[in-house]
Amino acid sequence: MSRASASLIPMKTVITRVRVETENVKTYYVRLPEGVELPKPGQFNMLYVHGVGEVPISVSDVDADSRAVAHTTRFAGSVTRTFALLKEGDIVGFRGPYGVGWPIELVTNKNLVLIAGGIGLPPLRPVIREIARNRSAYGKLIILYGARTPKDLIFSYEYREYESIPDTELLLTVDVPSEEWKGNSGVVTNLVKVVNVNPDETYAFVCGPEVMMRQATQELLRKGFKTNRIYLSLERRMKCGVGLCGHCQMGPYFVCKHGPVFPLWFISKYFWVDQI
Amino acid sequence: MSVSGLYVGHTKGIEMIFNELKRLDYVVVGYKVEEDVLKLRELNSFEELASGVEDVQNPGRYYLVRGKFSRHGPDSLKRFFYPPTLTLFSISPKWDMSMPDYVNRKIAFLGIKPCDLVALKVLDRVLLNVDEYYTRLRRNTALIIENCTAPGNTCFCATMSTGPRARDSFDLAYTRLDSRLVLEAGSDLGLRLLSLLEVEPIDDSTYRDFETVMRKASEKARAGFELSELPELLELNIGSKAFKEVAGKCLGCANCNMVCPTCFCFDVLDVPKIDGFADRVRVWDGCLNFTYAQVAGGHFRSDLWARYRHFVLHKFTYWIKQFGTYGCVGCGRCITWCPTGIDLRESVKKVLRGDVDE
Repeated sequence: MSRASASLIPMKTVITRVRVETENVKTYYVRLPEGVELPKPGQFNMLYVHGVGEVPISVSDVDADSRAVAHTTRFAGSVTRTFALLKEGDIVGFRGPYGVGWPIELVTNKNLVLIAGGIGLPPLRPVIREIARNRSAYGKLIILYGARTPKDLIFSYEYREYESIPDTELLLTVDVPSEEWKGNSGVVTNLVKVVNVNPDETYAFVCGPEVMMRQATQELLRKGFKTNRIYLSLERRMKCGVGLCGHCQMGPYFVCKHGPVFPLWFISKYFWVDQI
Repeated sequence: MSVSGLYVGHTKGIEMIFNELKRLDYVVVGYKVEEDVLKLRELNSFEELASGVEDVQNPGRYYLVRGKFSRHGPDSLKRFFYPPTLTLFSISPKWDMSMPDYVNRKIAFLGIKPCDLVALKVLDRVLLNVDEYYTRLRRNTALIIENCTAPGNTCFCATMSTGPRARDSFDLAYTRLDSRLVLEAGSDLGLRLLSLLEVEPIDDSTYRDFETVMRKASEKARAGFELSELPELLELNIGSKAFKEVAGKCLGCANCNMVCPTCFCFDVLDVPKIDGFADRVRVWDGCLNFTYAQVAGGHFRSDLWARYRHFVLHKFTYWIKQFGTYGCVGCGRCITWCPTGIDLRESVKKVLRGDVDE
């Protein structure tokens, strides 16, 4: 079969590894089909489950040597709920990589604040890995992450690793603390208030539920961040991933094609409009 | 682009054009009366082409009466190149995928109006050489246009600069003036069809008649707003209460999306079969549907007024930024086929005027 630039036909591939993250989140490593380029941080792929459907999932890790790409998924919708049944060796369909990712090249010699909410951390994880790999190329790294409860904190097994990256801070918060929880509670936006960086020398990458991104963005603006220093990874309904089906439009932008990562200045005319 | 200039013949020529297209192995498609509606269908004989009927179109109203000139029905060319349901691929239990064989038949459209020709050009910008299915089905198409001498009550092609006269991208365009037929060819096929007919270069008095008819049609097919600065003005009024007021009449049925000749949004359905095979099927979707902007974790446009606003802004503002052209061709179908008769022309004017009953 021919494959047009905007092909809607998936390529067959295999799940090489499944990792349980939380009660309703797992990470699926999928082998990249032949001829497919390595996804960049912030890009996503369309994963197809036979006879069930297709969903857009951001890339949470790339293993260049084995050409395995991680997709961290919460079982939330009709398709992702069936992901819970998938195991190593199962076949899935793959299309991608799609979209515009995080502009890491801009952050050279600058500080970076990552603000993640819930399932918004996985798309930022490749950024953390990139900075860890080329530590001297970047300034200070601050990771702010909030989840609903301590049990919902994704990748908790590697927080020590994050903290051991030189000149790096990790601040966690939960909406609903448990008895054992000693850390911050409340929304992740509160953590933005305590960040102490020079906004002219710093970029902010934000990923999470839309409400949280709005609040975090307002807080960053209050701190003096300019609209060309704030980048957001937007979420929308996506059925095609290639700018054809129309569902992911935000104003004139197809989030799947022009995004999902946008600088705030680019979308500020629409971002604040109710139900745009 | 006219490649011939204007010629005059007789309306009998339309039948000769039909016969020649058939002889050239084209499937000829035109408007045919079915269930008291004009429908775009394959014509087996010339007699099937609607004649002696007129479609009366008003907001929320459509019916046929005896008359001289028929315009269009709910169907547009979209149905043929971008069908309402289309199987993207079938997959076996062993993951063998196969795409149905979309035969690209030679299709000739006879008597479609300039607005629908431009709608096809708009769809081409969106889908041609991008979507493999559309691209495949779109090949081998002949377009014989009937210029619009009597626009209907919901038409506003003149405002959108899409009619009432076709300007380019046709094989042949004709205009009925009583029993005379003004013709111009726009391609080699058009020249070939024209050479079969008994025609003369247009004379002064016919040309004046032609100009008069086109001018009057043009005066009728106006929306009452101007395009200049419209994209910016609508966007600047994105917070207008007018959207909420107009959408108060909206049912969210998405009829407007379905009859629009340029709406291209689709959903994909998975159809598992009992034998372990499955199909992925593409179906038309529309921004007025409730589920359109719904995700597993929430809903981006749960209020109907926001979905209606998106429809209006997409057609007149976003489309320009996305594809360099308006998404609206002024065919008026969304006005005619709206069950509650919401008039897009009035909606736009209401937003621009900013006069809303508080």
